[in-house]
Amino acid sequence: MNCKTLLVKNQMLELNRVVAYLDELGEEWELSVPLVFSLNLVVEEALTNIILYGFDDQLEHTIEIDFKNDLDQLYITFIDDGIAYDPTLKEDPDISLSTEDRQIGGLGIFLIKKIMDKVEYKRKENKNFLILTKNIIV
Amino acid sequence: MNVEVFKTEEYVLVSVEGRVDTTNAGEFEKTMMGILEEGALRIVLDCTALNYISSSGLRVFLVVQKKMMASKGHFSLCSLQPGIKEIFDISGFSSIFTIFPHKEAAIKG
Repeated sequence: MNCKTLLVKNQMLELNRVVAYLDELGEEWELSVPLVFSLNLVVEEALTNIILYGFDDQLEHTIEIDFKNDLDQLYITFIDDGIAYDPTLKEDPDISLSTEDRQIGGLGIFLIKKIMDKVEYKRKENKNFLILTKNIIV
Repeated sequence: MNVEVFKTEEYVLVSVEGRVDTTNAGEFEKTMMGILEEGALRIVLDCTALNYISSSGLRVFLVVQKKMMASKGHFSLCSLQPGIKEIFDISGFSSIFTIFPHKEAAIKG
């Protein structure tokens, strides 16, 4: 099993570093272009939520992102020491609404749920663990 | 992200290139709001070179669509890459936007 870990600070500009990292990871693990696109999206959505809403202080925090690849599945785990928040409990937006009635925002977690095959959350030792699994079709 | 704006008497053509994500969606929104404030009644957003969008970018698209509908204007998109189209399908955006395969068709409306 391939394993890699990326540590990022709770600053939005870290996203640029994450994008470059995912491109490299995609090449190293020989992931398809659509899969790397999906990874970019779910990592950005999860990380944005953690950075923007996860902390109730002004301190610097480190967010750990673990990537694992065992040939037919890819796992991404986000670990942060922010406030307890289970995104799997968030209600899905109603995507059948008309333009006038559609809410602005609220799509991030929904996209993660739709793109990934499994989304799990755990709270352990005052940390949030968000575990995303994607089945890789070879 | 790079945004180019081309104005004629009939329409405003906006071409967006690269990524629209959390780091630059604010900048993209500012550009689009500037065009709306000038009273544009037909805006075509050419997505030929848009190769990534996240929920922050989708949010801006929806804001523009709502404002254009309120002002009885026309906002259409064209030339979505397959990955972008998939995100539009997943989020239900394919049914709230008018999407054309090519720029020429979008301009004609």
